[in-house]
Amino acid sequence: MVAAYKALFNLVLGFFLVLSLEGVGRKITARVQRRIGPPWYQNFIDVFKALSKHPFSNGWVFDFGVLMALGGAMATAMIVPMGSTTWTPFPNSDNFFVIMYLFAVGALGMAMGMVGSGNPWASIGVSRALTQMLGYELPYLIVISSTIFYYKTASIHKLVELQKNGWNLLVMPLGGIIAFISLMGMLGKKPFDISTAPAEIASGPMTELSGKYLGLLHIMHVFAMFVEVSLFVDVFLGGGNLGWYLVKFIVVWVLAVLISSVLPRFRIEQMLKFYWGVPLGLAFLNALFVLLGWTL
Amino acid sequence: MGEVKLFFGPNHPGMNGNFSVHMYVEGDIVKKARPLPGFLHRGFEKLMERRYWYSNIALIPRICVPEPDINEACYAMGVEKIAKLDVPERAQWIRMIVLELTRIANHLMAVGGIGGPIGLYTAPQWGTADRDRILDIFEALTGARVYHMYIVIGGVRKNMTPKIEDMIWKTLDYIESRLPDYENLIFKNRILHSRLKGRLILTREQALEMGVTGVGLRATGVEYDVRKVDPYLFYDKVDFEIPTATEGDAFSRVYLKFKEIPQSIRIIRQALERMPQSDKVNVPVSKGSALRRIVPEGMAYVHIESTRGEYGFFVVSDGKNKPYRVAVRGASYPQGLYGIEKYLPGTRIEDVPIWLATMDVCAPEIDR
Repeated sequence: MVAAYKALFNLVLGFFLVLSLEGVGRKITARVQRRIGPPWYQNFIDVFKALSKHPFSNGWVFDFGVLMALGGAMATAMIVPMGSTTWTPFPNSDNFFVIMYLFAVGALGMAMGMVGSGNPWASIGVSRALTQMLGYELPYLIVISSTIFYYKTASIHKLVELQKNGWNLLVMPLGGIIAFISLMGMLGKKPFDISTAPAEIASGPMTELSGKYLGLLHIMHVFAMFVEVSLFVDVFLGGGNLGWYLVKFIVVWVLAVLISSVLPRFRIEQMLKFYWGVPLGLAFLNALFVLLGWTL
Repeated sequence: MGEVKLFFGPNHPGMNGNFSVHMYVEGDIVKKARPLPGFLHRGFEKLMERRYWYSNIALIPRICVPEPDINEACYAMGVEKIAKLDVPERAQWIRMIVLELTRIANHLMAVGGIGGPIGLYTAPQWGTADRDRILDIFEALTGARVYHMYIVIGGVRKNMTPKIEDMIWKTLDYIESRLPDYENLIFKNRILHSRLKGRLILTREQALEMGVTGVGLRATGVEYDVRKVDPYLFYDKVDFEIPTATEGDAFSRVYLKFKEIPQSIRIIRQALERMPQSDKVNVPVSKGSALRRIVPEGMAYVHIESTRGEYGFFVVSDGKNKPYRVAVRGASYPQGLYGIEKYLPGTRIEDVPIWLATMDVCAPEIDR
């Protein structure tokens, strides 16, 4: 029963935290762009307004895809530990691979639903998003594998506990930087927002979304971002309690937003070349250092 | 994957203006592209034949929304050429200042606007905000922000007060101080280089064959600028340079626009210094109201340099109180219609909005 409450707390906190941080991010971007920007709660208004609208469906594949995306993202968000053993809903199943596996369900659900909408822009967007996954996951998984090898566990809450005396980021700074670059790709921040580029492919997967579907996918996106940033914070900036976890979460988020606000986006093949170039090479180098025991 | 038809229309965020391109793509590569204008057809040229010479001034700025003053200047200069009117010297200087201010405003929007297609959203926000300061000047000078209807037949509508001159000096200083920021944000960005350099190349032969003017031609090394080739107003009396490049790619086209901003600032400063003080800024109509003005029989072609290239008006009068025919040479006509059909195939989907932005495809010019 306790686990269920904790999982629910995960969802509630994830929803409110990320939606407000999205608003804060919009505010920060606005300041970089020399304007005032919307209030920090603007994204709550957006989501609730979208949910109050009449939906327009594009067939059952579309409906099912949207629900599968939301379900997959919510299931993953329930499992992710929040910075300490106390706030781990399922201590026996918060294995990194379980999380990545569940996370793919959400992504594939979105891909299925959006292709089901039948719009060519959406199909191009989905193919770009899946290509991008291929790009960032390779260096990311190599870095995570070296972390798992170093700490001899794949359980996230154990990883967090083992970092009590020093962050993993300080143990393998190279790996941390690469994981952050991959995180930018996961979050769809610039220069990696290729799959949703408005000027090129009319916002890609989002083209045919309206009303409730748009709201639901926004919530899915919120949970996905919660999982992605949480994983980075847990694996590289572990230790501390829930309060410190929130601080780290906000710092990582703001950093991503700031970098994003001054960069243009890559072309899709440039993105792949970028990820499979220097970051992948450095990830291998990082893995070699860990294997040889040359860590800080 | 077979060929897919994509509609790149006015509701697409990457399109600038009411214009559309039908694309046939295979994967990400454009196989065939067909421009389809007509969303904005209001028949300007025909409408002008039904209005008085003077009342056309209110219609012509609509032909180009971001840069309305070139239309007024072209039209007024054409009518003056037929009627052999002597425009007061101060009015000519003021016209030059207005034209150059519009050029800066339009270049700021274009330089920032390249951020739209490539995702650098800080640039358009900065560009639009700084352009607004120039619109403030226009508001003080003419009473309107976008469609000024300020340059009229025989001069300008109102005199420029010392207060506005002061405002222009200050705004120029401000814009000059902002230019390094733009350079750092936009033109030193390596991702932007990788997206624009060497892409969408238009060679000199292709540009000359199509009749592309403006930055599209200057980026291929041809120093063609109507202000130098066939000086109008007092452009032969001021010092300025025409920046050129040799690459002919998308980057050089945007960068040339950026490099033109300091030159325009230079021109305006010289004009403000050398402008004579006088109250006479237009030629009063000798008989009756301005609406009844009769222009003697004749015809004239007047061309001026807009931000998109050579912009021309061919004005024909049959000696009545309405024009017999007014034809407009839209500067973005060649690259907007022929260029898209001929040179977009073979590029990628991502390049299409870049072509539209760097070539300044302006739909109302095509649909006039």
